[in-house]
Amino acid sequence: MNKPVTSIVILGGGTAGWLCAGVIAARVQKDYQTPPSITLIESPNVPIVGVGEGTWPTMRGTLRKMGIRETDFIRECHVSFKQGAQFNQWTTGAADDSYFHPLMLPRSFNDINLAPHWLAGHADTPFSAAVCPQDALCLEGLAPKQITTAEYAGIANYAYHLDAGAFSEFLKKHCTSQLGVRHISANVTGVNSTPEGDIASLSSDSAGDIAGDLFIDCSGFKSLLLGEHYQVPFKSCKGTLFIDRALAVHLPYPSTNSPITSHTLSTAQEAGWIWDIGLSSRRGVGHVFSSAHTSTDQAYQRLAEYAKQSGHTLDELTVREIPIEPGHRTKFWQNNCVAVGLSAGFLEPLEASALVLVEISADMIASQLPGDRAVMDIVARRFNKTFSYRWERIIEFLKLHYLLSKRDDSDFWIDNRRPDTIPTSLQELLELWRYQAPWDSDFDHATEVFPAASYQYILYGMGFATDVTTRGLSTALQKRAEAEFMHNTQATKQLTTALPSNRELLNKIYQYGLAPV
Amino acid sequence: MSQPTVLDAEAHRDLRVITQRGAQYGEAVHLVPVIAEELRSLCIDYPVCFTKDEQTGQFGLYALLGFGRGENLYLSGEHWNASYIPLHVRRQPFLVASQHNDNEPPRRVAMIDLNSPRVTRDSSLGEAIYNSDGTPTEFFKKMQGLLTTLINGAQATTEFIHALSDNHLIEAAQISITLDNGEQKKYDGLYTINEQALADLEGETLATFHQRGYLQACHLMLAAIGNINKLIQQKKARLS
Repeated sequence: MNKPVTSIVILGGGTAGWLCAGVIAARVQKDYQTPPSITLIESPNVPIVGVGEGTWPTMRGTLRKMGIRETDFIRECHVSFKQGAQFNQWTTGAADDSYFHPLMLPRSFNDINLAPHWLAGHADTPFSAAVCPQDALCLEGLAPKQITTAEYAGIANYAYHLDAGAFSEFLKKHCTSQLGVRHISANVTGVNSTPEGDIASLSSDSAGDIAGDLFIDCSGFKSLLLGEHYQVPFKSCKGTLFIDRALAVHLPYPSTNSPITSHTLSTAQEAGWIWDIGLSSRRGVGHVFSSAHTSTDQAYQRLAEYAKQSGHTLDELTVREIPIEPGHRTKFWQNNCVAVGLSAGFLEPLEASALVLVEISADMIASQLPGDRAVMDIVARRFNKTFSYRWERIIEFLKLHYLLSKRDDSDFWIDNRRPDTIPTSLQELLELWRYQAPWDSDFDHATEVFPAASYQYILYGMGFATDVTTRGLSTALQKRAEAEFMHNTQATKQLTTALPSNRELLNKIYQYGLAPV
Repeated sequence: MSQPTVLDAEAHRDLRVITQRGAQYGEAVHLVPVIAEELRSLCIDYPVCFTKDEQTGQFGLYALLGFGRGENLYLSGEHWNASYIPLHVRRQPFLVASQHNDNEPPRRVAMIDLNSPRVTRDSSLGEAIYNSDGTPTEFFKKMQGLLTTLINGAQATTEFIHALSDNHLIEAAQISITLDNGEQKKYDGLYTINEQALADLEGETLATFHQRGYLQACHLMLAAIGNINKLIQQKKARLS
């Protein structure tokens, strides 16, 4: 079946749809003399779910490549800087139980694995604080850069907290005005197939039939093309990750100049956890929980108690209940249709994996965009293989947070440690890590979604014991490691004095803007 | 601490201003803010570059006089070894402020920093500001003209810098020098014109740049960068 791929149709105008449009449009414009056309169909009356208000540092490169000014993005999407996550009450549930998963890698991570040296002689300092300065920056509410730092550059590694609704609108404006993306506002009423089973076009109520060579399904939980039309089965992972419901609320700041936390807060509850994300305009807070282990009423109570700590009365605010089906489609690319975003799958927002999956999916579609339908099935197979691997790795990494917990105050935590809920490959890694600290070579792929550093932060943040004494550590390496620990202490001191507060920097960005260089 | 005060013909009748050069007058600085209008004169002696204001992150246009805080390689004793001295240096200790009175449009007023070491009441020193009848002296009139040039020029320079930044014409400059003792010094935080991006300008942008004199200003800046070698020679001479 030979047919050049000259038009791409994206169904859905949420963050996934517009991110896909932007990433692919920017890439094909850069690469090709006659780039394929890109059309996005958005239903005028489907509300945006607005998943994940936290991003990964990858978002900086994604936006830069799309030709977006970071200053505009920060101002228009109520953005603040995120430097990691702090997990409270995850290990023992005690009041002082807390650890960080910072975004900076451990110092000199490409040269030396500091974890065994920390285990051998520095375990009185939290692992993350011993190997990188970011715990201190987060605890003091500092920004990852200065007003003189160029756009997208950082002194400390950073990602964003953003307002998903505003982000979609912002991307729409950029895609349609700068990147030549055609925007159609219409409801899709049917799918028209070719004799070979490809999608030929989508029928709509107000824009006729919209034909294309490649269709990207960003239709959200409905999964209109991959799920409904192609009937690609959904693979639930509820047996591993129990969370299946969320209660979400927006909390206003007491004043326009209130401090903004520069990391995501995750506070464990009896049957789930509460996220707390500080934007420049408000906080986004929510309780994700397992309906098998608690009731919505009880979860509401927990959320109300949490909100009360900052003086908010939940009954006076709008609380949204969102059902979650944890899992993903068994494949993501079928015929000439590929699903990206919620239509591909969804997991609890524990490590902000939703938007990064959209970014890397769009990136792979753009970089491997088949020139002709004849080779699309090969690209599809590769895509499916890559992303099946990635979803499994993410599921395992999220599970790691639960199974390392020592909490036994509820069935939720006890059930999470049951061996039959833990994927075999993860069980195997945990066995391995009893005698060696995680390292890149423990994983299959060169570019893992979560690097070995992330596993180290979670394992040692939650008190996992790796016995590194069997063969000892060479004197040369010990000396090197000691120097690294010392340099980290110095760097921490220096950065905490040099960096402004998150709020102060954001105010300055609103007032003056960041320079592109 | 500076003490800017609005000039008043009565109160300041006997004030005098010392016009000599020297470190004791606050001239031992390595960066001096300049306006684009001065580029033609500056490019003979000084490297001119952009640096960011530490408080606002905004680019400003500066003549580079040395490599570190307090180092003015053009100044030796009371001699300033250059054919041109930046307006910002020459206008001291005068400054301009915008005065807002109720129901009136804001107006500019000349001020003087009474704490400047240049200000004296010793009649054997410097230049008078007012004549005995309270009218401004020729010296002060000249200073007022200079202040007007500076304040108008500062506005135009900001617009020039915005145009450059919006068109991605500013890039970080990597300046490193090797001293005779082999010591390497690197200077961060300096920015200059991206020559390639300037050459790639076309169409309407190019026409606008030409029309507003931005193109010429860019080329003067690029030419001025070569003066960095003069600074390096001076630096080496002082170290040896």
